[in-house]
Amino acid sequence: MSSPQRPVAPHSYGSQRPPAAVPIGPVGAIGVDEMQLTDEEVARRMSWLEITADDIANLTSIRDVARGYAAEVIEDLYRHFLAFDETRAFFRDEQTLRRVKAMQTEYFLRLTEGNYDREYVRDRLKIGAIHQRIGLDVKWYLGAYNFYLRAVGSRLMRAFQDDPERGRACYFSLKKLVFFDIGLAIEIYLTTIRRQEEAIRELSTPVLQLRAGLLILPIIGVIDPTRARQLTEQLLRSIRANRAKVVVMDITGVPSVDSRVANHLVQTVEAARLMGATVIITGLSAEVAQALVLVGIDLNRIRTVGDLQGGIEEAERSLGYRVSRVEA
Amino acid sequence: MSEISTEPLVMPIANEADIVAARQRGRTMAIELGFAGCDGTLIATAISEVARNILLYAQRGEIILCCVELGGRRGLSIEARDSGPGIPDLRKALTDGYSTSRGLGLGLPGSRRLMDEFAIESEVGRGTNVTMTKWVR
Amino acid sequence: MQVPILKQGPVLIATVQDALTDADLHRLRDDLLQRVGTHRSLGVVLDVTALDVLDSFAARMLRTISHAVRMRGATTVIVGIQPGVAFAMVQLGLRLDGVDTALDLEDGLNMLARTIRSADPTSTTNLAGLAGLAELEWIDR
Ligand SMILES: Nc1ncnc2c1ncn2[C@@H]1O[C@H](COP(=O)(O)OP(=O)(O)O)[C@@H](O)[C@H]1O
Ligand SMILES: [Mg+2]
Repeated sequence: MSSPQRPVAPHSYGSQRPPAAVPIGPVGAIGVDEMQLTDEEVARRMSWLEITADDIANLTSIRDVARGYAAEVIEDLYRHFLAFDETRAFFRDEQTLRRVKAMQTEYFLRLTEGNYDREYVRDRLKIGAIHQRIGLDVKWYLGAYNFYLRAVGSRLMRAFQDDPERGRACYFSLKKLVFFDIGLAIEIYLTTIRRQEEAIRELSTPVLQLRAGLLILPIIGVIDPTRARQLTEQLLRSIRANRAKVVVMDITGVPSVDSRVANHLVQTVEAARLMGATVIITGLSAEVAQALVLVGIDLNRIRTVGDLQGGIEEAERSLGYRVSRVEA
Repeated sequence: MSEISTEPLVMPIANEADIVAARQRGRTMAIELGFAGCDGTLIATAISEVARNILLYAQRGEIILCCVELGGRRGLSIEARDSGPGIPDLRKALTDGYSTSRGLGLGLPGSRRLMDEFAIESEVGRGTNVTMTKWVR
Repeated sequence: MQVPILKQGPVLIATVQDALTDADLHRLRDDLLQRVGTHRSLGVVLDVTALDVLDSFAARMLRTISHAVRMRGATTVIVGIQPGVAFAMVQLGLRLDGVDTALDLEDGLNMLARTIRSADPTSTTNLAGLAGLAELEWIDR
């Protein structure tokens, strides 16, 4: 056997794609990245909460005071946490408790450090995401802010005994910033939950057998390349397993059908045909269909029917069933 | 770019039975590596195409199968090389439907779609080298 | 590896048993065309259930067979393309335009029976047995 030399390349042509991004650690960072706030957005929120330069000055001015009471406040807070089963459950052992306390201390101290910028926001979001991730209900999370404000309030008043006006001003500045944090926390909770729901929904597209030989595949949510592959594979396997002859694929629940998605649909239809099954696509609006033809998608290759009901009727006709509509 | 984690397997291609052997071996390796669903078939099909090109255009050459690992991800890399006539115009050769042998002209562009990574080098009179990789999902 | 071809009334059934080389495919084409001629068959079912790869060469050959069979007045149905194979084929860009496909032998025979009957409703050819054929034991191994 001759062993061919590796040819030297005078010209070469290829698509060496960069390796796909590695998942980002244990932090629920999907939501955090999705929520990336611009500088303007941060400024806008600050002005909604009426956080001014004075407030920032107030906050940084109590940095040392805050350092003074930090340890006590944390101890109080954790006594409170440990008094409730729902929150105690999160501190399995001494070590966890120590670690979380240290993190919590850092979190509180950060409130009086100034520089409430995008980095600050990102940090806050991350912490919120972690709490959502470990399954701490938002009511406990928000309750802790209340506890904190009360615990710090009384200590600030004591620290500013000689100048209660200033003490009150600093307290209100702190309260504004805490509300800023609360806003972020609620949002990241909601974003993360929404993402999770979407992921679950998209991963579990049901293939329903309506009757012998007829499958229905209702697709809900965004179709990206990964999901398109899963859908196609799932459908082809179901065709074989159920000996399906006609499949009605309803895309009413797909928010945007662009040329890429349409190409996937065409591919799926073709593959099903190779196996001997016909696919009828429903829920593709006339406008979208027109737009797809304009960008060169050959819709002649796919059978489309306006709505799911019509698609099912057409499917039944091609299976040889007599279709009669029942008037409601 | 890929760090090699096992010994590459060299399969000579000199007749039709070699094409079948190479793609069957590729499928087995893919399954051992943890490829699921249709991936084994996609890989075997791509191997069949590049192996066929070797036989058809260069008469002989080899297919090298190799497990690769990058950033914790595992993949199967396939290299098809020959010292045949080479390809004068790679851009054309990678176009759907282009064939100098009245074939379907889908072997190269199709393999590129079947795999995650695809690169081709060729020099007229010296030979052709196709490297392609698919990553376990 | 030769592909066995079974004659059943007006229909020929070719069942691929294992991976095919290009030479096998050429021979299959020649065998089928010759038999369609000598038996005056009206239909051909080509069962590829056992194929785990259908590359561009094999696909082109299936298309060639189907077209050549049609030139001789018969219809071809390809049956048994596996899910993964179908998926790989479309990714590759293969479409088998103008070639009829069915899920399995039974569906393929039903399809042929319908096609043959609609092409010539007055045909006296007995098609009644076709649908039940899939159940038959293979005698021609
Ligand atoms: N290993 C090779 N050596 C020389 N030429 C090749 C090689 N592989 C592909 N080619 C050229 O590229 C063209 C396209 O290849 P391909 O996409 O596989 O289509 P096909 O083989 O059907 O022609 C071929 O027609 C041939 O001219
Ligand atoms: Mg080729």
